[in-house]
Order: sequence, then structure tokens, then C-alpha cells
Amino acid sequence: MKLITAIIKPHMLDDVRDAVAKSGIQGLTVTEVKGFGRQKGHTEIYRGAEYSVDFVPKIKIDIVADDPQTDSVIDAIMASARTGEIGDGKIFVSEIGQVVRIRTGEAGTAAL
Amino acid sequence: MGKYRSRKVHPTPSPDALKNLLYAARDELTTETRLARAGLDALNRYSDRVDELVRLIFGNARKCTETPLALLALGGYGRKQLCLHSDIDLMVVFDGSIGVAEERSLKSLLHPLWDLHFDVGHQVRVLRDFENVETDNPEYLVALLDARFLDGDQAIFDHFSETCLGDNPTWQQPIRSALLDLTEQRHVQYNQTLYQLEPDLKDSPGALRDASAVRLLARLGNGNGTGRRASDTGRLSEAEDFLLRIRSILHLERGRNLNTLSHELQETVADLFGSSDEQPRRQVEALMSTYFHHARIISRSLAASLKSLGTPVTVSSTPINDDLARAWDGIRFTDATRASLRPRTWLRVFEVALDENTNVSEQVLTCIERHGERYAPERFFPSPDERDLFLRILRPRPGLYARLSEMHDSGLLGRMFPEFQKIYCRVIRDFYHKYTVDEHTLLTIRTIERLCAPANPSRERFANLLTELRAPELLVLALLFHDVGKWTNKNHAEESVRMAVGALRRIKLPESAVTTVQFLIRHHLQMSTVAFRRDMEDPEVVNQFARLVGTEQRLKLLCLLTLVDIEAVGPDVMTPWKEEMLWRLYVDTYNRLTLGYGDEVIDTTAAAIAELTTARPDDISEQDIATFLAGLPQRYLRLFEQSRVYEHVRLSRDIKRSEVHCALEEKGSAWELSVVSINQPRLFSNICGVLSYFGMDILRGQAMTNEHGLVLDVVQFADTESFFRLNPSAKPELVDLLQDVVAGRADITQTLRGKERGLAPRGPSRINPIVHFDRQYSDRYTILELIARDAWGLLYRTSRVISQHGCDIELVLITTEGNRAIDVFHITHHGVKLSAASERALATDLDAMLGKQNEDDQGDRSSE
Repeated sequence: MKLITAIIKPHMLDDVRDAVAKSGIQGLTVTEVKGFGRQKGHTEIYRGAEYSVDFVPKIKIDIVADDPQTDSVIDAIMASARTGEIGDGKIFVSEIGQVVRIRTGEAGTAAL
Repeated sequence: MGKYRSRKVHPTPSPDALKNLLYAARDELTTETRLARAGLDALNRYSDRVDELVRLIFGNARKCTETPLALLALGGYGRKQLCLHSDIDLMVVFDGSIGVAEERSLKSLLHPLWDLHFDVGHQVRVLRDFENVETDNPEYLVALLDARFLDGDQAIFDHFSETCLGDNPTWQQPIRSALLDLTEQRHVQYNQTLYQLEPDLKDSPGALRDASAVRLLARLGNGNGTGRRASDTGRLSEAEDFLLRIRSILHLERGRNLNTLSHELQETVADLFGSSDEQPRRQVEALMSTYFHHARIISRSLAASLKSLGTPVTVSSTPINDDLARAWDGIRFTDATRASLRPRTWLRVFEVALDENTNVSEQVLTCIERHGERYAPERFFPSPDERDLFLRILRPRPGLYARLSEMHDSGLLGRMFPEFQKIYCRVIRDFYHKYTVDEHTLLTIRTIERLCAPANPSRERFANLLTELRAPELLVLALLFHDVGKWTNKNHAEESVRMAVGALRRIKLPESAVTTVQFLIRHHLQMSTVAFRRDMEDPEVVNQFARLVGTEQRLKLLCLLTLVDIEAVGPDVMTPWKEEMLWRLYVDTYNRLTLGYGDEVIDTTAAAIAELTTARPDDISEQDIATFLAGLPQRYLRLFEQSRVYEHVRLSRDIKRSEVHCALEEKGSAWELSVVSINQPRLFSNICGVLSYFGMDILRGQAMTNEHGLVLDVVQFADTESFFRLNPSAKPELVDLLQDVVAGRADITQTLRGKERGLAPRGPSRINPIVHFDRQYSDRYTILELIARDAWGLLYRTSRVISQHGCDIELVLITTEGNRAIDVFHITHHGVKLSAASERALATDLDAMLGKQNEDDQGDRSSE
């Protein structure tokens, strides 16, 4: 099993949610985050005064997928979150040791 | 201690016998619970059965010791309100020290109770413990107030009762403080509102602990009990009974002492109550409406009890006028009977209470509650005076939420605006909303009120927007109606608009204000949609949103409405992240509206201006309109209504070079000067100079140039020196001088030279001036933003410097916010944008001019 963490532009959330749902994913966790990558921050000018905005608002999505599903989920995120502009985000994939559904005690892929 | 009466010794019960007794009692209560009848009476009977059981066990336990002792029930058990899985709170009091025998007796009491799976909260004391008040144990102190003798030596209980529960101030005062502190802490946990969509039947505001607090406060007494109304007692019991019936069902369903009426359990409870409606959703809504009705009664009773704590022994009041007086519990009617016949006077109480930052008295609220239903909505607004009074009440300030809540609770809001009554205790079931629709609405207004003194630094920027609103009462009015359409399942924003417009026209709100409120309600979800679900990096997204809002004032109104609307959904819904996104959209849109509007000119094709041409008066032709509008920015049509456009067209007729055509009108507390002229060097500077010469304080305005070189300046100014009032000939004098200056017959620079030295700075604080050039927002113009301390003649001096550099001022936006002048100039040099070198040179001279102003300010302050 893999943990797929995607950092995306906030307005892409609905599209990404729909796309990963179509790829068979039944649940995901969404977090409001701020950070910077190559996009860095930006300068905001309000009434002639410049303010530096160091961290850009983003959305973080965490999905745990069964190994065979992983590529199709990544593809779905890529296709739905991509604008081609700087700041589209990143996808991180890492190994997951175990998953347990608290209510039933099911473990492994059955708990996904 | 005196002699104790001998007591009957119970036979030792077997564990099975105890279980059978308990099960029989529980079966009986379960039957009542399934019939939704396990309220006060049923719980009283169940508590009696538990008493019987406890006495049997205690009878055995007391054989273990010779020391006299008494067994007391505390808290909810003391009140005989035990539900199926409630804790039982007991206190054993010994008249003597506690040794091995006494400990054995306690074990003999507690172990059988534990074996029966009771959750026992037990306190053990000796009589001398009551010589000191345990102020570090507030829950215990409050529980003592419900102490009830169960068994043992009555004289011990009598001694305890005389010491702790009598009129002894040593005990009364700390118990009252503990009760008040615990109540306050509990209310804070629930955001101080009873309108929770998933309320805790025990702890929420308006729930059982509050009902208990009302009784306990009454028992503690306040000298005369003026705060409670006699009718409250019956209604309080009824409310308590209803809540206990629900709590009993929760205990039965959950099998534990859990008291949250969750969405899931609301359906079960509604079903057991057997609502006549077959649809589960409607059953639940009926249940929750009834719940909030009762919770509100409890809450009102508690509020009255709390107010009565401060009741002086002799109740006197100070007259404010013929109708109102200042009393110990707030503003009251001097004659409630007379007031009950004059509903138009009721709003005045709320205004005075707000002005004096005090409460509205129970006398007034009771009067409104009893007599409000007799009056139709129109009776509250017989003339524009009452409408204006209502608008004054809505101006954000401390106490607004409390006063509006009183209006709502007493039924006044719903009588004045039956549209609002439609959302009374309205339940919307979704994952996010925590409160009923009416309370959500009032909480939005509480958030606006809190912006008057923001606790959080990140809120200061929004608080500034609030201070910049010209009519903040329209924001509150829009908030009041923004969700009234939620009574149906239709598109609630449109339904809210329909209902609000009806209400606002009924009170004869000026049409321009109705339009603003209508806009805010119709689009109250739009800004959050764009901020959180659209690509704000796409300039066209911001452009579209800017076109929707049209003006900076509307943008500020919508931004604040969005902020408080989200915040009032639930405690953690408006996150700092969302706040940042919202602010970013505000800034991008503000910049678009103030810096980026110059290139978007009006489309003067017949179809585009059809609305204007169709409604035109007979004296204006289609060609007149098209010629005047050609080349003006689209912003013009967003700023001016049709009738104003026609006035401007008339002013532009037959204008010749070196002429000005003017209209001067009084608009509320300010004046508005509309000037049409043919573009020429220093025109804007000359107009500002003339106004400055007459001591006028320019507040806001704009200047626009059409493609034929026709310039329209519309400037609002304050006649702070009352020049017009004191000089009947002043208005023609101003117009004459303006014409002379524009025609070159007078030199305003010369005329002003002597006066400039006498121009004093305005406002108390120093503001670092900002001169900022922008090249991004316009293809045609260089945009100059200037922010500086407002001062007489500032606009004149600024525009003069710009003109001295050979620049043409094509568009101007003038804003004054507090003591800050915020001016945006769209300028060109020989018809094109300024070069970097020209910008630098102009910036140097503007900085020098503003620097000199600052020096003058400092000089003036040091000489003050």
C-alpha cells in the first residue's frame, strides 16, 4: 500500500476529488496548507504599499491506495490538477506499513 | 451535636434481590421512555425506586459503625432527576472521626452499588468539615445545593442544612460564585449560544444545567427576587420536562450516560415522540424547533435570574424622557401599559440601551412579548423616523448582537419582519452548520460587532474595511435577511432577495439602499466561491468578479459579509488559511477596480446602451447619449444611475472650450459638485484649487475623460467651515470663480498662495506618505497611487505637481478614509504612458511636496 500525498492549487480540489473517485479511491483527507516551492511567494500591493507573501496557500490531499491502484491514482491527480503553469504542485508517494479500520478492526487493503 | 433519633434497621438484602429491584425500576422507566414520557414525573418515581434500593444497602452499611451518620443525595440525584444511566452522587456525613469501622461501613455502602453497575460519585465528610468552605471544589459546592436527605440521622442533615444551605453568607457567596463561574465556563464552551444543531441536553446553554441554575439561584436568593416572573416557573418546569424526556431516550438508545442529541439520534427521538408528519426530516425539524423553544425559555429565565442578582432592595429608576427610564436592570418603560399601546416607541428602547451600553429591562421584554402579536408590521414603522431609527440601531457597535437577540427572543424582530420569523429555530442539517438559521444570522452580526475592537491582529485589516464603509448599517441589514429564504428548499439566495426586498420596501428604505442590500444578498456566496474554488491567479477570474461587484464600497461590503457568514457557520470553519484567501481576492479585486478600470471603456453600440436609450427623457437623443459615453470607462455606468447619466448629458450640451457647466447639490451631510468641461491643462488642479480656496474638504470623487476630450468631474466635499450656510451668495461665488479660473480670467495659484499657509492639517496621527506607480494594470495610462495624511488643498497641490510635469490627468479616483487621503490618478504624457525617467522625476517632486506637508504638520503640532 502507498500513501499518496498531493499538494495542489486550491481551486483544483473538486476536479481532483472527482478524478481520484473515478479511479476507485473511496476516501481521502484534505488539509489547508501554505508553503513555497519554485513558485516562491509573491508581492502584494495594496494602496501603494508592498507586502511580501512568503507562503502560497495550497491544498494537501492524502490518499492511501493499494499498490496496483497507485499509478492510476497518480495519473488521475496529474491529469486533473495540471494547468501547465508554475505552482501546479507535487505528488509524493511513500510506503504504508499497515491500515486498520477502527470500527470493524479490518486490516490491510480490506480497510481501505 | 445533639441526640439522634433511633432509626429502623433494614434487613440485609441479597444481591439478587437488589438486582431485581433495580431491574424492575429500570423496566418501568424504559417503558415510559419508549413512550417519550420519561420526564419529571417518571424520573421522580425512578429516583424514589433507587432511593429505596440505596436505603436497603445503607441500612446494612450503618450497622458497621456506632458513629452517627447520614446519607445524602446530591446533584441531579438530589433533584430526583435520575435517568437510566445517570451517575448517582452521594454524600456520607459522620458526626465523629472516621476510623476502621466507618471505612467498613462505607465499603458496605459502595461495593453493592458498584456491583449493580451504578456510577457512584461519593463524598465523605465529618460535620466539622463544614466549618470551612471548600472554595477549590466548585462542582462539589454547587452539588450541595441539591442535597436531599436519604437515610441515617436526620439531625446531622439538619445541622448540615442550617450551616450550608441556610442564609449563611459565608457559604452562600462562594456557592453563588462557583455556580456563576461554572455556568459561564460551560457557556463559553458552546460559543455562548443555545442554538446548537447537535445540543448537549445537559451542558449546552439553555439545557438542563441552566434550568437547574435558575432554581439554585432562586434558592440562593437575591433579596427580593424581582428578576423572575411568576409565569416563568410553570414554563420552566415544562421546558425541563421536555428536555428530560429527550435525555431519557438518549440514555436508553446509547446505553450510556451520553447526552448529545446528535443528528442520528434526532430521528430516533422524533420518531418516539410520534410526530404526525410522516417525513423524517420534517419530524426532526419539528422536534428541534420544540427543543429550541424550550431551551430559549430556560435561557431567558437564567438571564432574568442573573440580572436579578444585582437587584437593589429598593427599586428606583431615573427618567430619560416621558416614555423611558434608566433602571437597575436596564432601560424600561415609565408606563408599561401606555407603552403596550404604542408599538412605534418600542424600538427607541433598544437604541437608548445601545447608546448607553446597557440592557433592555425584563419589563420591556415582557411587555413586547405579551402585546407584540396584536400589531401588524406596518405599525412599527408608521413614518420614516422609525425606519431611520432602526437603521441607526443596526450600526455596528458593542451590544448590537445582544439587543438584536433580545428583539428576536421577545418576538419583536419577527413581528416587524415576518420574513425573519420564517427562519425561527430553522434547522439546516449538514456537516458544517452548528447553529439554527436565525442564530447563525445573529452570530454573523456578532462577528461584525467584534470587528469594532478586533482581538486578533489578522482581523485588523477587515476591521479597517468596516470603518471605511459609508453605510455599515446596510451590511447588517443584508446580514439580517441573507438567509431568510432558507425556509424553503428553493435557491435560498434568490428567495432571500425576494423576501428582503418586500420587507425593505415596506419600511420605505431608499431605493439605492434596497439595491445595495439586494446585491449583497443575491451574491452572498459568490466571493467564497471565487476565493476557494476558482483560480485567482487567472486575471480574467478577478476581472469577472470585479465586474460583478462594480465598486469598492460593494466589494468591501461583500468581503465583510463573506467573512462573517463563514465564521458564523461553526467555531472553526473560518480558518486563517481561508481568511488569507479571502483577503487576497479582496486585494486583487480592489486593485482591479481602482487601478485597472481605465482600459475598459463603455460599448456605445445601440444594443449595449439600449436600457439607457429606451428610458431616456424626451429632451435627450440616442446620439447625445452615445456621444457623451464614448470613451468613458465602464466604471462610469456602475457608479451613476440612469437619471444621473441624463443630467450629465444635459451638462455636456453646447459646452465650449474654456467653459464649465456645473451642478451643485446637497447630498446628506455633504455637497456634490458635478463639472463638465473640455479637457485643458491643469483643469483638475484648478477645480480642486477653487474648492480648497473656499475651505471645502474633498471627501471622494472621480474625474473621467471621454474620447471627445470632454471631462466630467464629480466631487463630494464637506463644507466644514459652514461657508454655504453662513453666506447666501457663496454658491454662485464658487461657480463664478470656477468659471473664471477655467477661462483663464483668474489664477487660482496666485489666489491660493496666501491662503495655503493657513491651511491646517486634519486628524491626529501622522501617516507616512506613499507614492506608487503601477505599469501593470493599464495599457494606456500610467497609474499613480498616492496615500497621504488628508489635508486641505492636498488634492490641489498634488494635481498641480502632476500638471507642472506636463502630464494629463485622464481619470481620477478620490477617497478619504478617516484622516487618510487615497487618490489614484491615471495619467499620460503627450498621450502615452510616462517613461521611467518621467515617473522618477514626478515621484521626486511629489515626495518633496508631501514631505513639506509632513514638516508643516509637525510644525503645526509643535505650535499647538
